Amino acid sequence: MITQTIALFVDAYRELNAKKLFWITMLLSGLVVLIYAAIGINEDGITFLWFKLGFIPVTSEQMPPAMLYKLLFINLGIGIWLTWIAAVLALISTAGIIPEMISGGSIEMLLSKPISRTRLFFTKYATGLLFASLQVAVFTAASFLVIGIRGGAWEPSLFLAVPLVVCFFSYLFAFCVLVGVLTRSTIASLLLTLLFWFCLFVVNTGDNALIAFKTQFEAQRDGYQTSIDSSREAASKILTARRADSDDPLPAGYVATDDDIRSVSPWMGKVFENRDEAAEGIRKIEPWSKGVYVAKTALPKTQETVALLERWLISLADLDALSSRMDDEDEEPAPTLEETEGEIRLDDSEVSRRMQEKIRNRSAWWVLGTSLLFELVVVSFAAFLFGRRDH
Amino acid sequence: MSDQTLAPARASGRSEWAIDLAEVGKIYKGKIHALKGIQMRVREGEVFGLLGPNGAGKSTLVKILMTVIRPSQCKGTMLGEPVGSKHVLRRIGYLPEHHRFPGYLTGAQVLDFYAALNEVPRSVRKARIPELLELVGMQDWGTTRVSRYSKGMRQRVGIAQALMNDPDIVLLDEPTDGVDPVGRRDIREILAELKRRGKTVFLNSHLLSELEMVCDRVSILVHGEVARQGTIDELTAGQECYEIELAGEESAKQLAASLPGMVRFDETGSENAGLAKRVGGRGELATGEWVEVDHAMLRVGTTDAAAVQPIIDKVRAHGGVIKSIRPKRPSLEDLFMAAVDGGGAAPGAKSSKNPKRDMKAAAKGGDS
Repeated sequence: MITQTIALFVDAYRELNAKKLFWITMLLSGLVVLIYAAIGINEDGITFLWFKLGFIPVTSEQMPPAMLYKLLFINLGIGIWLTWIAAVLALISTAGIIPEMISGGSIEMLLSKPISRTRLFFTKYATGLLFASLQVAVFTAASFLVIGIRGGAWEPSLFLAVPLVVCFFSYLFAFCVLVGVLTRSTIASLLLTLLFWFCLFVVNTGDNALIAFKTQFEAQRDGYQTSIDSSREAASKILTARRADSDDPLPAGYVATDDDIRSVSPWMGKVFENRDEAAEGIRKIEPWSKGVYVAKTALPKTQETVALLERWLISLADLDALSSRMDDEDEEPAPTLEETEGEIRLDDSEVSRRMQEKIRNRSAWWVLGTSLLFELVVVSFAAFLFGRRDH
Repeated sequence: MSDQTLAPARASGRSEWAIDLAEVGKIYKGKIHALKGIQMRVREGEVFGLLGPNGAGKSTLVKILMTVIRPSQCKGTMLGEPVGSKHVLRRIGYLPEHHRFPGYLTGAQVLDFYAALNEVPRSVRKARIPELLELVGMQDWGTTRVSRYSKGMRQRVGIAQALMNDPDIVLLDEPTDGVDPVGRRDIREILAELKRRGKTVFLNSHLLSELEMVCDRVSILVHGEVARQGTIDELTAGQECYEIELAGEESAKQLAASLPGMVRFDETGSENAGLAKRVGGRGELATGEWVEVDHAMLRVGTTDAAAVQPIIDKVRAHGGVIKSIRPKRPSLEDLFMAAVDGGGAAPGAKSSKNPKRDMKAAAKGGDS
């Protein structure tokens, strides 16, 4: 049994080795690491090799080198290279694994051996993930060295990227394998997988947009509500003071009504309207965001899986500290509601912070658990089809 | 070939049958009956040939034995274990038809990989690879990638691959496909050596002349049914004859003149009453042997030379010039054609519009 598994893995390695694309991807990975190793930061600003990039107004005081490299690793290394370009290259390399295995002349050789179809299938599936694992592991190790040497921070937690990116890739690969079993065609599996990925991307973008709108509305509603609350307090005091000497004094602890507020500060009428509008907006978005949430629960969450890395490597507090250091200069007091005639000006960074919080509030269990469940269902179905079919 | 490479077959001790099949049926997609209740037995230590026209179900049957295809119904054992058991596959060597080895592997790696899947220990694999490469004459090509092999070379490596696990049964599906005459002779020698070592060899081929040379017993499969089964002697029994060939343009006339009185022609078998037109007619001697007239050729269904003499006299008396007289045993091809044309085949099975012609073409293609 071990002999067979080793043989299948050795074969997979030989196959990868024979594929030029594997080495091309590896080479490009090295290049990406070199590029970001060449980027430096000091008290004067960002440097590339020995050139100063003066047009980027960031210095090492605002952003410590370790942070810069972590951000580069997460956003450039993982965010763009591994989860877009390298993932496509990996799909191109591995899409053929199942169609080639079940092609005539080759499947007979495998099925006629004392190995069960299920085990054969899952071992082959695992060998497909070998590609992604090797690539990510090498890339992460190189990045680990760069962050250590150039940034001065030795972060073993960087290696969380390996399981996370392999997870991300495995969702797509699972789908690819299912299409491969169904169509027996490499090109069909590749194209349909890319299409599926695109759909996931669209759903995720929709989800993000809905979250953004909702957060914005919530921030507005909360802002208006805060101002209404403070106006209510002020109006209560003013009215109580006004009526204190009259025949009909207000009882102690009188709370001003909405009409009272409007009579005291006429521009508040607009604020009430705006608050209700924002609340109405939230109410309207609610069913949509619920629907998208349900859809996302059923589907694999590619971007969120990778985003877990940022969540785990960089805390919200770090991000806050970073943005406060960056925003130091242009400290301008927000205009009052009276000045804007009842229109609130939202602080963008506050809204995005709220969004971040919301996204981070979705538990890692939800992100990984439901995605892996999807993968399990898809791969099991593919294995079932593979096992039942006559070849 | 050393004794370690191909040890004599282990005696299973359960039965004399290496393969014992009954009621093997396969229905594809609920409609096409590829196999209709195959009954087949292969003795231990014999070379067994399975033949049949394209689409007869030969490969389907072999694939069922190798668990590549699941039978719709199957009662039977291989080496004493039920067909479909994965366990027994370890003791079987298999070369599929139109096999394709991964192009990135070298010949030696192919042997190593598939033997490892058969759970042959590493040390044994290491020892066997050079021996088997030598056996199939590929010792100089072990480190070359399979993608650069010719078809014949792939076939040779494929056969070596089927022997890597020192199997008790070797199942070869079209082993000589694409192999040149020298290679075919080599393969025949390997088969003979396997038989000498007591291995059971199950050959699936449409190269009839080749099967005839090596097979102890054959089974002819037509439209998913066993049309004939037995040793070649058994199958040809009663079909031996003497062939008398006449020379000259007048031969048909001479035959027409000499035969009446001796041969009672079967009127239902021939449409025309005139004997001269009955070239292709079939009849019977007074003593019961069959007679067949085919233009200038006269066949008499007997092995007894004495029985032919009166006919010779008669023909010569009528001025016939005899070019040759020879005893003839039907070849496997004749048996095959008879089986394909004659029977076992039920209409409605998976077949083309003109199965007869297809089968003839298939048989011819096999010999070329």
